[in-house]
Amino acid sequence: MEKRFMKGCEAIAEAAVLGGCRFFAGYPITPQNEIPEYLSWRLPEVGGAFVQGESEVASINMVYGAAATGKRALTSSSGPGISLKAEGISYLASAQLPAVIVNISRGGPGLGSIQPAQSDYLQATKALGHGGFRAMVFAPATLQEAVDLTYNAWDYAERYRNPVMILMDGCLGAIMEEVELPEMKETTFENTEDWCLARVGGRTDSHMITPILPEPALELLNKGKAMQYKMWEMLDTKVEEFMLEDAEYVVVAYGIAARVAKEAILRLREEGYKVGMVRPITLYPFPKASLDNLDYSKVKGVIDIEMTIPAQMREDIELQVKGRCPVHEYGRSGGMLLDDEGVYDAIAEIVKGGE
Amino acid sequence: MKNSFVFSGSGGQGIMSAGIMLAHTAIDMSKHSTYLPEYGPEQRGGSAKCTVIISDDEIVSPLTKKCDTLICMNEQAYRKFSKDVKDGGLLVLNSSRIVNEEIPEGVRVLSVPVDDIALELGNVKVANIVLLGALIGATGIVSKEVLVASLEEKFKTKKPEILELNMRALEKGIELGKNA
Repeated sequence: MEKRFMKGCEAIAEAAVLGGCRFFAGYPITPQNEIPEYLSWRLPEVGGAFVQGESEVASINMVYGAAATGKRALTSSSGPGISLKAEGISYLASAQLPAVIVNISRGGPGLGSIQPAQSDYLQATKALGHGGFRAMVFAPATLQEAVDLTYNAWDYAERYRNPVMILMDGCLGAIMEEVELPEMKETTFENTEDWCLARVGGRTDSHMITPILPEPALELLNKGKAMQYKMWEMLDTKVEEFMLEDAEYVVVAYGIAARVAKEAILRLREEGYKVGMVRPITLYPFPKASLDNLDYSKVKGVIDIEMTIPAQMREDIELQVKGRCPVHEYGRSGGMLLDDEGVYDAIAEIVKGGE
Repeated sequence: MKNSFVFSGSGGQGIMSAGIMLAHTAIDMSKHSTYLPEYGPEQRGGSAKCTVIISDDEIVSPLTKKCDTLICMNEQAYRKFSKDVKDGGLLVLNSSRIVNEEIPEGVRVLSVPVDDIALELGNVKVANIVLLGALIGATGIVSKEVLVASLEEKFKTKKPEILELNMRALEKGIELGKNA
């Protein structure tokens, strides 16, 4: 395995190529521009295609087209651009096309700021587009995890014939860390030949891919998807549970916030306070069991730490806590970053205040 | 042991390059390191800042409120960030541009006129390398040999004079840092 000191966006781009991605279309927006910049030279090296689209709408529809041919397709953007792609992502879901969408998120709402924020949780997990569909949402906390999740993202997308989102804030997009890169995956039509438009695997018949279905077929599609979402929850939920065994306070945080919170937890542990953490790695499916199964005879409080105000994960947390202990929140927003002292102080105030 | 460095200045002063070089050198020495740049939408100028963390252990949080060492290349950066250095920490100042500024209590200061030295060496562009040299000379945070190897790699496609100029800048910086 090769180790490299890489920037977050570039690590994701390389992991996509190694994971079999051969098509990218996107439109520039900070803080994700290093992804298209990297792929503009890297994809042609491996026989792939890179397109800088004329808009976000055009780009997501090019991804729709590329995915329909059975090839692994990617687009990336940041909050405002993802909003523009929403229609296309919903069409991907309805046409049952696998594709990966990366959101390197920034401050919002509106045009927001170009500085990092975790302000797109609700968009990613509840309504990535109209019409009531879900996509798996992966939220890496380190660049190594970003590489691993991106590398395997198309396997999930193809297995379930559904778009997959990778949600990572601008800090992780810009940061440089050491990563270990996996081997290049063989790109075959193995998972897509049964339905894709390309005539592969000795096939001579034609397939049709359409996002337009008659009502009964559309209902059937939705019933199928509903079952699939339950399956994801059982099979594909990813979570890190950290020091929960004896925890009296449980922090819930994902991505960059989880890293800052973990350092605060380690410091509080040294001081003798029993604090643990649930870190969702899949934001959807949300790791419900990790929170539902906490020992509430011991747990005195759950603390939601996010780089956004107000906290967006809170409802998902409260649905699992079910009023068995108070839920607190702390965050920064608009492109103002969390920092080790602020997060420590926020958690310490709650933990020590209980004494 | 976790050591944090904030490089600050304005776009074009080589702040980001210096930060990446330090982080890269630490990685080459089998330490753990993170590099986080922060800058605005400006194409030129504007405030530039990067945080480098070097540690023997895996780095949990890459975001820090206060740093062990603050490097300031101009007055604006100094005024913005001088309160962010820890008690007992180190301030490395470009004294060609930072004059008559109040120094916070309880911090050590290393003042080096890096712009003037770089000009004497032949090009103001190597001011960041003089500064990096001074930092290494004063703290020994990374090994000079490993940094030299990484500089040689970085400039291998450029004219030999450019590498040679950077080497002289590094040597001069290290000398000033050691004697400070």
